Amino acid sequence: MREFLQLAIPGLMIGGLYSLVAAAIVLVYKSTRVVSLAHGQLLAFGGLFFWIGLVALHLPLWISILMALVCSTIMGWLVERITLRPLIGQPLISAFLMTFAIFMALDGVFQLILKGESKTYATLLALGEFDLLGVPIRIVQLISFAVVLFVFLLLALFFRFTKTGLGMRATAEDHQLSQSTGINVRTIFSIIWVISATVASVAGMGTAYVMDIHFPLPYIGIKGLIVALFGGLDSLPGALLAGLILGMLENLIAGYLDPLVGGGLKDVAAYVLLLIVLLVKPYGLLGLKRIERV
Amino acid sequence: MRPCGTFDEHYSQDMAILRIKRHWGFLISILIFLYTFPLYGSYYFISLINHLSITIIIVLGLQLVSGYCGQISFGQAAFMAVGAYTSAVLTGKAGISFFLALPISGIVAGLIGLGGGAPSLRIKGFYLAMATIAIHFVVMWLIPHLEITGKTQGLHPPAPQIGSFSFDSDEKIYYVIITVMLLMTYGARNIVRTRVGRAFVAIRDNDLAAEVMGIELYRYKLLAFFISCFYAGIAGSLWAHWIQVVHPEQFTLLHALNYIGMLIIGGGGSIPGVFFGVIFLRLLDEGVMFAAPLLASIFPWIGIAPAASMSVSVFGIVLILFLIYEPRGLAHRWEIFKASYRLYPFAH
Repeated sequence: MREFLQLAIPGLMIGGLYSLVAAAIVLVYKSTRVVSLAHGQLLAFGGLFFWIGLVALHLPLWISILMALVCSTIMGWLVERITLRPLIGQPLISAFLMTFAIFMALDGVFQLILKGESKTYATLLALGEFDLLGVPIRIVQLISFAVVLFVFLLLALFFRFTKTGLGMRATAEDHQLSQSTGINVRTIFSIIWVISATVASVAGMGTAYVMDIHFPLPYIGIKGLIVALFGGLDSLPGALLAGLILGMLENLIAGYLDPLVGGGLKDVAAYVLLLIVLLVKPYGLLGLKRIERV
Repeated sequence: MRPCGTFDEHYSQDMAILRIKRHWGFLISILIFLYTFPLYGSYYFISLINHLSITIIIVLGLQLVSGYCGQISFGQAAFMAVGAYTSAVLTGKAGISFFLALPISGIVAGLIGLGGGAPSLRIKGFYLAMATIAIHFVVMWLIPHLEITGKTQGLHPPAPQIGSFSFDSDEKIYYVIITVMLLMTYGARNIVRTRVGRAFVAIRDNDLAAEVMGIELYRYKLLAFFISCFYAGIAGSLWAHWIQVVHPEQFTLLHALNYIGMLIIGGGGSIPGVFFGVIFLRLLDEGVMFAAPLLASIFPWIGIAPAASMSVSVFGIVLILFLIYEPRGLAHRWEIFKASYRLYPFAH
């Protein structure tokens, strides 16, 4: 039981971050019907901005968080404005390929800034450990898990009670219909990318704490996409649930099965899960099944 | 737009790839140039053409499955790895001749590719693209964990041999590679104008309508995956015996992403587009390799060796520009150019 908890609880903590990335992807998909590969980069840059503020510029903690959020907001807006706005009306698959092109373009910049090194701020933020059911957990991770839940709460409130949020839900239903009721769909697209980039950067700050800012960091975006597909591409609760499940599952599989096959299962488990989900339940755990009409 | 003054009197003329004498002249002179190139070309250009040819074979396969059949596949690098490893195992451990191992590795990659195409029964579009990414990672995870593939050390396949003649240098294997490349191009050009190719196009344009017309969707989608992975397998086998080292690091997701980029830049649904895309991106890479040290000396803060990351960035930016300004790729530009010079001096 103790071993199980030792594997499951850290998995849950990482899973929270996965579900935050997935939430960012789900947000974009819900309103614009674009599946984004680019969020891996938005996440990585969120972590990188935070590192620049905290370590390179020696700013106080709250200013560096603010700076990272503002920079990611601007980046999300630029990404939508420059690359995706010209593609409105084009086939969705070309928008998907566009997000992949953005991923590549930003990946080069990311590597250029890193210069092959690995940056970390985990030592600066060491707040000590905390004992939960006999499992030691870093307090920062606990805080980041709380932040994840808080962001999900904020998003839920935003979509339920604000006018913009309601406009976004309408846009998600039907672009033309919502435009005819006076919603500016283009503005909605812009806002949704900004929010989604901010959410991704929050996830990035948390992820970079756990796994350092290093060249594989953007590929967490692919994992976020897996979680989004697993939970259902148009469901925020699905993203939360699927992220937590995947995070736990990864750690459990790695812990129990790795000695049997010789390691490395942690990386491939998510993809096997994705294949199973796509074959058995392509619309995800809580996703809406869309019926195709001719 | 047909060349001016050529009129078709038979169906065979209408179907012909090469319509007029000038086309034949071009083809023969290109063939002569390619086959005599090692006599006067430098080592750099010979290995460049080797690399280009292998990439062209892979992207041709991708063109068939993505450009013609509309099923985006990110798994091409993994299937290339399957081909490379099959060929390396067959020649290195079982002692089979390379020229037998080449088609076998294509077929093995194709059969495993059927597994990659299997999800296309239920899903399409980016769902399928994600499934192929998953297959890529599963295959690339399996390879270093199996005993037969030499684990993480990789394999060292021998050079191809006929009798006592060994194709052990770049100049010698050049002939093998370009011959296979030309054959594969000819094959692809012909597949797309048969019943199968027309079925692919129908599925790409509207899969429901295609099904209503009597095209068995699943069979043709699987066939598209088989053919595409066959191409990747052949390319992998050639790669293995050219480089003579097979290692999991040679077949990363980045490679697969590059092939998709070449397809987009060249233009989907066009065989010449494959050549345009591959050559364009390759030249771009060479240009960045050339420019990067210059930039690094002007702006020292970008680091000592920025070439690798800069080429990724430039690739992404070029892809963005193509998707916005010319989504039909260089092949479409080429068609426009052909039409304009055939009409010259008139505008229409």
